[in-house]
This record gives sequence, structure tokens and C-alpha cells, in this order.
Amino acid sequence: MSSMTRWIGLLSDPKNLETYQRYVETIEPKIGAFLEFDPRRGLTESSAEGPLKGVPFAVKDILAVKGFRLTCGSRILEGFVSPYTATAVEKLQQAGAVVVGKTNMDEFGMGSSSDTSFYKRTNNPWDLDRVAGGSSGGSAAAVACGLVPFALGSDTGGSVRQPAAFCGIYGLKPTYGVVSRYGLVAYASSLDVVGICASTVEITAEMFTHIRGKDDRDQTSVEPPVKAWGNEGAERQVRRIGVVTGNLGLEAGVERAYKTTQEVLRSLGYEIEPVELSMLEYYAPVYYTIAMAEASANLARYTGIRYGYRPEYAENPEELVRKARSEGFGDEVKLRILLGTYVLRSGFQDQYYQRAQRIRTAIRKDFDRVFHEVDVILSPVFPTQAFRHGAEGLDPFQQKVADRFTTAANLAGIPALSFPAGLEGGLPVGFQLMAPVFAEDLLFQVARRFAGVVPPPKAPTNTSPWS
Amino acid sequence: MDLQELRITAALAYLELDEEEYEKLEGAVDQMLQYFSKMMEVDVSDLPPTTHALVRENRTRPDDVLPFTDTDSLLENAPETEARFIVIPNIL
Amino acid sequence: MYQSFIGLEIHIQLLTQSKVFCSCPVRFGDEPNTNVCPVCMGYPGVLPSLNREAVKYGYVVARALNCQLSPVTVFERKNYFYPDMPKNYQISQYAFPIGRNGYMDIEFRKKKKRVRIHEVHLEEDAGKSIHAGDLSLLDYNRAGTPLLEIVTEPDLEIGEEAEVLLQNFRRMVRYLGVCDGNMEEGSLRCDANVSVNLRGQGLGKKVEIKNLNSSRFVRLALNYEIARQEEILSRGGTILQETRLWNENRDITEGMRRKESAHDYRYFPEPDLPPFTADEIFLKEVEESLVELPDQRKNRFLTQYNLSEALAEFLTAEKSTADFFERTVGQGADPAAAATWLSSDVQKLLNRQGITLPASPLSPERFAELLVLLQEGKIHGKLGKQVLEILFQEDKSPAQILKERGWEQITDLGTIGGIVEKILARNPHVVETIRKGDMKPWGFLVGQIMKETGGKADPRVVQTLLKERLQASSLYLLTFGGAISGRRDRDGMVVPGGSIAIQKILQQDPAWKDRVRVEELPGEEILSEEITPADWATLILRTASLLQEGNAKGIVITHGTDTLAYTASLFHWLFGKAEIPLVFTAASLPPEEGTEAAQNILQAVELAAQGRGGVSVVFGGERFEPVNLRFSSLDPMRFYTWNQKRIRKEAPSPFPLFGGGLEEESLRMRIEGIVRRVFIVKVFPCMQGEQLLSLIKAGVRFFILELFDTGTANLRQSPFSLKKAFEIGKQEGVHFFCTSQQEGIVDFSGYVTAHALWKEGAIPMGGLATESVYTKLIAASLYAESDEEILRWMEANSADIG
Repeated sequence: MSSMTRWIGLLSDPKNLETYQRYVETIEPKIGAFLEFDPRRGLTESSAEGPLKGVPFAVKDILAVKGFRLTCGSRILEGFVSPYTATAVEKLQQAGAVVVGKTNMDEFGMGSSSDTSFYKRTNNPWDLDRVAGGSSGGSAAAVACGLVPFALGSDTGGSVRQPAAFCGIYGLKPTYGVVSRYGLVAYASSLDVVGICASTVEITAEMFTHIRGKDDRDQTSVEPPVKAWGNEGAERQVRRIGVVTGNLGLEAGVERAYKTTQEVLRSLGYEIEPVELSMLEYYAPVYYTIAMAEASANLARYTGIRYGYRPEYAENPEELVRKARSEGFGDEVKLRILLGTYVLRSGFQDQYYQRAQRIRTAIRKDFDRVFHEVDVILSPVFPTQAFRHGAEGLDPFQQKVADRFTTAANLAGIPALSFPAGLEGGLPVGFQLMAPVFAEDLLFQVARRFAGVVPPPKAPTNTSPWS
Repeated sequence: MDLQELRITAALAYLELDEEEYEKLEGAVDQMLQYFSKMMEVDVSDLPPTTHALVRENRTRPDDVLPFTDTDSLLENAPETEARFIVIPNIL
Repeated sequence: MYQSFIGLEIHIQLLTQSKVFCSCPVRFGDEPNTNVCPVCMGYPGVLPSLNREAVKYGYVVARALNCQLSPVTVFERKNYFYPDMPKNYQISQYAFPIGRNGYMDIEFRKKKKRVRIHEVHLEEDAGKSIHAGDLSLLDYNRAGTPLLEIVTEPDLEIGEEAEVLLQNFRRMVRYLGVCDGNMEEGSLRCDANVSVNLRGQGLGKKVEIKNLNSSRFVRLALNYEIARQEEILSRGGTILQETRLWNENRDITEGMRRKESAHDYRYFPEPDLPPFTADEIFLKEVEESLVELPDQRKNRFLTQYNLSEALAEFLTAEKSTADFFERTVGQGADPAAAATWLSSDVQKLLNRQGITLPASPLSPERFAELLVLLQEGKIHGKLGKQVLEILFQEDKSPAQILKERGWEQITDLGTIGGIVEKILARNPHVVETIRKGDMKPWGFLVGQIMKETGGKADPRVVQTLLKERLQASSLYLLTFGGAISGRRDRDGMVVPGGSIAIQKILQQDPAWKDRVRVEELPGEEILSEEITPADWATLILRTASLLQEGNAKGIVITHGTDTLAYTASLFHWLFGKAEIPLVFTAASLPPEEGTEAAQNILQAVELAAQGRGGVSVVFGGERFEPVNLRFSSLDPMRFYTWNQKRIRKEAPSPFPLFGGGLEEESLRMRIEGIVRRVFIVKVFPCMQGEQLLSLIKAGVRFFILELFDTGTANLRQSPFSLKKAFEIGKQEGVHFFCTSQQEGIVDFSGYVTAHALWKEGAIPMGGLATESVYTKLIAASLYAESDEEILRWMEANSADIG
């Protein structure tokens, strides 16, 4: 827990608060992590006492925080102020932690670079020409350059884990439903989870214990079985780690680091067993079919009638709504709404949406099978390290195909943790561990031991005195 | 997807696209549908659909009223209001 | 010949406290956008949370509609854009609705039908918008109100049936307490779909009709729409599949001005709500929420309390009335009295004050106390009514009221006996008259006694004591013309009337000598074919007063043979519930010409002396039921009963005992009022249906049609059919009661033409013969205040006793 000690109480002291704000002001212009930064407002909503008293944290702009804007990186929610707070945020506020601001993201969580944001781009703290990843790029970057010890993000198909890997930090995608989705703006409801970006395993695990739990306002939320919890002294010990093998199409640096990581784990005494995920090539098509279908309905509420962007002129409701949506949504969002609408249309639904849901069952079964043989699974997060902004990077289609490793955990509802595994070519590389449902403790166990050998790297922009 | 289907789909989604956008989107849409068609390889006949990730039990709430007190803030977010109504143009 | 198919989509707002997916109150009439929250306003990031009570109400309705209940029910998103709908998808149900494959039984024009329920599903209501100038004003208070949709199969054929179904359904949900059923305010809404096609060709093009905010509009709109579609088809046109709106100002349906874009709702399971499993505990709760439904309760009332159809219907229309009634009866009140008082005097007071029974100051306990006082003769009817009025004004028990006002009745035999003696002693010549058999001054004596006690004496005690003192209870014989009481004149023609011959027969028989009071009714010197309304009025009123005075042990009425079937059945409808026997008899020849008259009279007197209550007919040594009589003049002359096997079922009179209470003149006018508007028509091949139009023009509003077989007649588009008469008749408020020319049951079964008649508005009269239907109509008019009420009486069967 030593990693948290310097942060505790920080914002409770007005003098420290000023020092903190000055630090953020020097770093933030280079990075562009925040869409809104206002720790003083955040202070008014937090408990003055509690284990996280005065600890600053950032919230991806897809989670509602009362009094803060909630834009989801989209023009269609320009100027929108949330009248309520998400359950996960509220729990942290009750423990004393303070929301300092809302972080940049791909519009409505749709992207792997945070560049589809209507408002700004976020630069990777390791190389400002590169993306911080996405869609929770702002949250990951803010953690990586020491602006906050942790930040909340959301993970629908890898949106916490991929930017965490790009920025050299930890990214947790919990078991579906273990953290309430109330206040998380829906992209794809059956896949969305609130996730955590943090600088250490300990902070990740601790914040997870704060935000988890069944919520009356989210009827898909679940209370995990009690005995699965606890970091130290957990009943279960990981012995066997399954490693996803086969022709994975990894970049050379990532490939190299993958091998090294396996070696380190073996040296820690784990049995390393190659496993084949037979459904791997279907993950991304199935994921995108389901995600876009759900998104097409979830994004139907943005019309400019009750809130958000309203066009200059319209004669009737139909025109108003069409204009608001056409002017308010970006290209990637429009593409996904169109595809999602199409795969649900009568005559096409069987072929696409329903088929995807059936294959999703096969994917879950495949994981059940593998978890009979191994305790956790090691896999890549993304085939590349952080790519460059713009045309030199990956095009939108390549980015989608590259989501094949991360989407599995969302489809199966299982927990996954992206952890930093050193540097390649001066840039961080991260891999992910996946566990059966409710077995987050196994992920923390392995990641903590790994960090004992390969500690998380510190980004050159991170001059924070507190991390 | 041919252009006609794309137009129908856009109309259902209340998206107004200009010709340039249609051209751009048509390619991207086709590329994705092509990608989706990979799913046709899987025999799904014995597979029930997964509609919910983790379903454990019934979830309902009791029929208790808990009014939201700050309804004014909801109206403040509306682009146009009049006498507590939310207003939209509607010229017949 | 066209066939029509109607299906209904009914939406009801459920009476939960909070909305279906959030905790906002379900309340209307508040300022706009006050009962809202981020969830029902469709804010970013919110989630629905299902209200268990709403699901329960849904299952309760599905169960009451005899549906198969889903063990697991799933919510889905129905996607379409609409400014009133915050999320632009409605959380509804599709593949796994709460219930499926149910049914609801209805009855219209005596035809029973099982209407299949396709499904019952739960969803959320949208907000409301008001158009003002160039703007729409949106209010989301209603958004998220739990809404249950009930979809029927297209099993209905005409608007009237849809109206009946809707009314029954409304009553049912009010009974269940899940919806207030207010159509004007939209808590119960109905859309209909209609298709018309040539018979046997299945469903036609479906037209949807919206904006039906009363059950009357449902009927009018559907009938308008069926006629419109039939007209188009008969011109060789085709029906446009569309949505039409009912225009209540013009009484027509109109195509929608703005074309709705093609829908593709893209249903998919709502990922934010887990499927709901109806487990054992839940299903038990559902069962416990079921109450006895209106139809069941009505049927129980008919048998358990022996009430008439009309009263049972009145009592069970509202659950609160039925509950009130049963609590009253539970306190010892007589069911018949409680029902009658509730439907008449209590209802009048409620109407006057403009309140409902549960909201009135009258409690079942006090009401029962009042009725028991009446039953025990402690107060008389008039006083009872006064006490009832006071119960509506003062918070006191009936006993208290009587005491305070000094209205307690004198029931003490000794006290009243003394007064009776005093009055008799004061009027010796009156006593003498009565002892001789002239009962006319009876009322005078009663009046004198009541006056002496200041109106406080129990009239029943007075009657009993008077009867004891004067030994007045006896048999009566009323002569009402016909050969039985006549003689033959010098020309050989039968002269009717008089009582000399009958007196002679009775005097000659030792058993009946001096035991029968024979009365010649004024103006009775008629042959039975000469009967006028005035004659019936006289006979009815005399009978009613004999029954009221309570001195008669039995009454014999001598009558001509030709129209005996009419008078006997008329008396059956009016006096079928009499406690003493009313026996009709007749003879084909005057008494002096053989033994027939004497035999019939003596048998009738015997039956009157010993038989059970109600009306019967004696002729040729046989006893007959008073309805469906037919006379055969062949040798031997005899009566027989038409449709004999069926008649026990049709026969019991649904009417309460006719109490008179009218001047003879006004009764005559009432009878004239109805018979002037009735016409009996026997249909025949090649009949020119249009000839009926001149009768309609002349004021006929009730036709009794004697049809073929089970109710067939020509209804094709031709001058030789009834089509036109029905069409015009419908507009003019004409009713057609149908009987058969053959013995059998008219129920419009079996033939397409029969079914068409029912659709056009004909009312099947089952096994009743034309004569009995005609007199039932006269009887009904004496109880009814409107043609609608007449219709209700005509369709009413009392409880089956067969």
C-alpha cells in the first residue's frame, strides 16, 4: 500500500491542493488527458473522512458525476451537465476520494486511440506523437504521467486494457456486473463494465474493493461470492497459467516481450501451458456485431430534444432529430449506428445479430473448457505498441481487427487485467491475464508477483512527487 | 449492402447523410459486413443465444415511490422550455 | 356475402404507485415534467429497474384472461423514434410475453362467443405532446407508466361485439384493481384492426383504427369501417392497408394525413434487465390477487340469491356495489330486498348527490339494519324510504333515527287488535258488504285503522288481523269474456260475458258452493279476439290489487280460447312470481252446451285452491305452462306447448312481480304505447323487404320476425330480402326479435344467412313462440324507461332451472 500513502490527504490541505493544481497545469497541456479539470468542485461532493480522504482521481467522461459535464467525447452532448452521479464514482467519493476532472475518450467509447473525440486528442506520455490508446485514453494517460494515482474508465471490448498497455500502467476489466453500470453511459450494455486504470497492482485491487457490489439501480449487477475475495491470503493459489499460442500476428517487439513475460512467469514457479482458444478468430466479428447492435439502440436517445446539441433550425421534430444526430455524431459513431441498425433489421437479424449471440455462447463454453485446465490465461492485449496519431497509425478497420484479444473477456463476462511488462523500443508493452468469473484475486496475485521481478515503468513525463 | 439498403438503414436510424458521406460509408460498411460474414462458418444450430452476460436471479424493486427532487436541473439541460414544457418546433 | 374480422389491441395503465422502471410517482394532473427523473427522461447512463408489482399485475390480468403464463418472461427493446418516447426505444416484450393463448367469453344478442387472446405483455408508456402553433410542447410525466397490452385474435365480427368485449374487460380490470379503466383520460386505450373479405376467403387487408377513446366510438368506428370496406369491395375496389383515425365530430374514419414511415422495430432482448422467472412464491401471490370476476359473480348471484338477471347485472357492474350488497346480506338482510333497494331508492339518492356508493355515508351495516326492520315489519316501506334519506344526511343508526323522531312502528297484536275492533264496530254495514264477498271497501277499513294509529301500525299485522276477523281469504274467479262465460243467442251466435252460468256451475258443486267469489270485470262482454289494451289494463290491475290486498288464496280467470296464449303468457311475465296460483281456463262452447266448460272451470278452481304459485292454464283435463301455448281447433280441440322440451329453460319470468300502482288509464296508455310500435311479420319466399320500410316510417320500432328454421331469411342484396329493412332499421333504432315458423331454437346457428341476420342486428329469441315474445315485449315496456332497457329485458333469461 506504500504507493498510495503520498496521495492520501493530498487535496484536503489547501496548500497541497495548489501544488497539485500547478503540477497538473504543467503536464496537462502536453498530454490533453482532461476534458474538464476542477478539483475544487470535486471536493464539495466527497466525504471529508474515509480511507481515501483527499485522494484525487479522474473519471472518464462516460461516467456521470453530478455537477460535471458528461460529453462522452461527443458534440451531441456539448455542454451537458450531469444531474446525478454514477454508483462507482459515488462509492469512491464516500470513501473520501475526490473527482478532479473528466478525461478524454473516443466518442461514446468507439475507438482505440481516443482520437475520435470531438474535443481534443490525448498524447501518449511516453511519446507525444503517439496515441494513448482508447477509448479510455485520457484516464490511462492521466495515471501514466502521475496526475492521479488511479482513474475510472470503461471497458466494452478492451477500452481500459488497451490504453493501459499503451501507457505502461495497470488496467482492470472486472467480471460483468460486479461493478454497477449505473451512471456509465451505455455503448453496448451486455458488454460494458466500469474499469480501473492505476499505477500499481495494489491500487488497482484496493479501488476494486471500493467500487464493486450489487446495486439496486443496476439490475444486472451481482454480488460476487464472498470467498473469492481478499488479496493476501486468498484460498486459491495460481499454479497453472495457460498461454495463448498460435499465429497471433503480433508486432516483433510485442512478440519478443510476450516470450520474455512467459519466461519470467515460469521463473516465478508457474506451470506455463500453451492453450488454444478455438474461437479466437470469431471474437472481433461477434463482438462488433453485438456491440454495434446494442449501440444503435443505446444512442437513439440523443436527439437534441431534451438535452445536448440542438441544430440551428428545424421545422418539425423529425428534421430536428435527423439534423441533431447528423451534425452531433462523428463518422465512427455514425458507421457503428448504421451497422448496428442493419444487423438488427428484420431479414438480416438471423444472419448477423442472432448468429453472433449464439457464437457468443460457444465462446463462453470454450473458456469454461480452458479454465478446467488452467487457473488463468495469459494473452496479448493488442498486436502493436502505441501507434502514431493520424494516417501513420492504424486505420479504423485495422484497429477493430486488432481488438481480437481483448473482446473475448467482454463476450465471456470474465475479468481481465492488463499489466505492464517492460519496455520495447522505449515504449511500454502490456499483456493481459484472464480468469474465471469473480476470480479477480487470481489476476492480482500473479500481477503482483510479476511486478516483483519486472516493476512497472515510469513515463518520462511523469515527474509527479506523489507517485 | 447496396446504396438503397443503406438509405433505408440511415432512415431507420434517423441519420441524414449527404452523398459524400454515403460514398465514404458504403465502403466502410461493406468492409465490416464482409468481416462479419466470417461468422457464417460456425455451426450454430445447437447453440442457444447469450443475451445477458451473467444472469443469476430475478431482480426487481418494490413498488415504492422515491421522487427525484431536482427536476429543475433536468429542464435546465433542455435547449428550449416554456412553462415547464420542453419545446420543439413543429410546423404543420 | 362478406365476412368481417376485428381484433383489438387494448392498453391499460396499471395502478402501481411508482413507474415501471423507476421510482417516480405514477400521478396525473401535476405540473408538466415534475414526476420525472433521469431514468424516465432517458438521460445518458441510467438504467431501468423493474417494478415487481407491475409484473404481478400483468400476470394477474393474463391469468384472469385464461392465458398460458410464461415461466420466464423477457423484456425487449422496440426501436422507433418518437418525440414523446425518451429513449427512442420502448421497453416492451416480444418473444416471451407474460401470457399467451388466453380467451375471454362474451355474449351479445344472446350469442355466446369465446374471443381468443393472442398475448398479454408489459411495457412502458410514452410522454404526451401538445401541439401549439408552430411548436410541440412535451411533458414526460406519463413516460414510464406501466402499460399492459392485451392483443386479441381477430375473432370479433361487429362493432357491438367489440364494445361488449371492451366493457367486460374494463369491468374485469376494475374488479382486479389493476386499472381504473378510464377511457376518456386514457388509462384504458383501444386500437382496433378490421378486415373484410368474401365469406370463406379468410382475412382481408388489415386496416388499423386509432383514436377510439370510448367504447361507443369503438362500436361506431368499427361498424362504419366495415360498411366502408364492404362498399369498396362490392364496387370491385381494393382496400388500402393503412392506419385510420376515428373522427368523433363527423362519425367517420379518416386516413392519416401524415404518412407514417415504414416501421422495422428491430426487437432484441433488453440487456439491462435480466429475464424474470415466475417462481412458485410469485405465482402464489398472483393466485392470491385473483378475485371472483364479474361474470362468475353475476352467475353466483343469480343462483345463490335467486336474483333476476337485471338485478344481478346491476349489482355486479361495480365490484364495490357487489361487495356492499354481500356485506348487507351478511348482516341478515333479505337478498332480494337489498338488491331492489340498492338498484332503486339507494341509487336515486346517489344520483341526486352525485356520489358513488363507496363514497356515500351509507354503510352496509346500517343499510342491513334498515332492511331487517322492514322485513320484521317494524316499519313500513314509506317510512323506510324516509329513514334511508336521513341515513344519507345524519350519522345515526336507523334505530336511533326512528327513536328520535318517534317513528317506531306499533306491532303489538293487542294494541292493534283493539283498534281493529273499534273500527269494525264503527262500520257495521261495511263489514256486512265484505262478508258477502264484495271486497271493494277493504282498503277503506285498512285506511281507517292506519289513521287511528297515526300511520304507525304495522300494515301487515293490520291485514292479518282484519283477515282473521272477517274470514276474508278466499278463491276468486274473474270472468274475462269468451264462450266459457257466455250463451248462445236466438240467431245461434255465441254472446260472451256474464257470470250467471259460471255461478250456477259452482253453486251446483257441493265442494265449491259459496266458496268462490265470482267477479265480472267491467267491460268483459267480449270475445277473446276483440281484446283491446283497455281490457288487458283492467284485468292486470284487478289481479295486481288482489295480490296486493293479500286476501286471495287463488285466482281463476276465464278467457276465450283464441287469444288465451297471449293473455296467459302476458300474465306469466307480469305475475310469474306470484305466491298464489293464477289459473286460466277456457272453453270452446258456452256452459249450457255440454260438460266441457263446467269441467274446465271446476278443474281450474281446484288448481287455484291447491296449486303452487304462478300462472298456469287448465284445459281439457290437462295443466299447461302459460308460455308457448298453441291452440288446435281440430277435433278434439286442445292446447299444446310449442317447443315443449325447451320451454322449462326459457320460461321463468325475469320480471319482478308486477305491483300495479298505476291508474287504469295510464296502464292502458302504456300498453297502447308499445303495441303501436310493434309488428309481427312472418317472412316468406320472395318477400319484398322494402315493404317493411313503410311500417318503419309509420312508427314501428319492434318487429317480431317469424323466420325459417333456426333463424334464416334472405339477406342478399336484392329487393326480395330483408337487407334494406335492417339497414334503415339500424339508423332508425328499430329492433328485430326473431322467432321461428318451425318448432326449434332460433340461435342463428348453422347457416350463413342466419349468421348474417345476427350481424345485422337481429335478436334470436331461442325457443320462445311468437305470441310469448310479443307479450314479453309488452311486459318489458311496463318495466323499462327506454328502448335500451326494453332490449335488456328481452335478452334476459332468468336462471336456468331446467
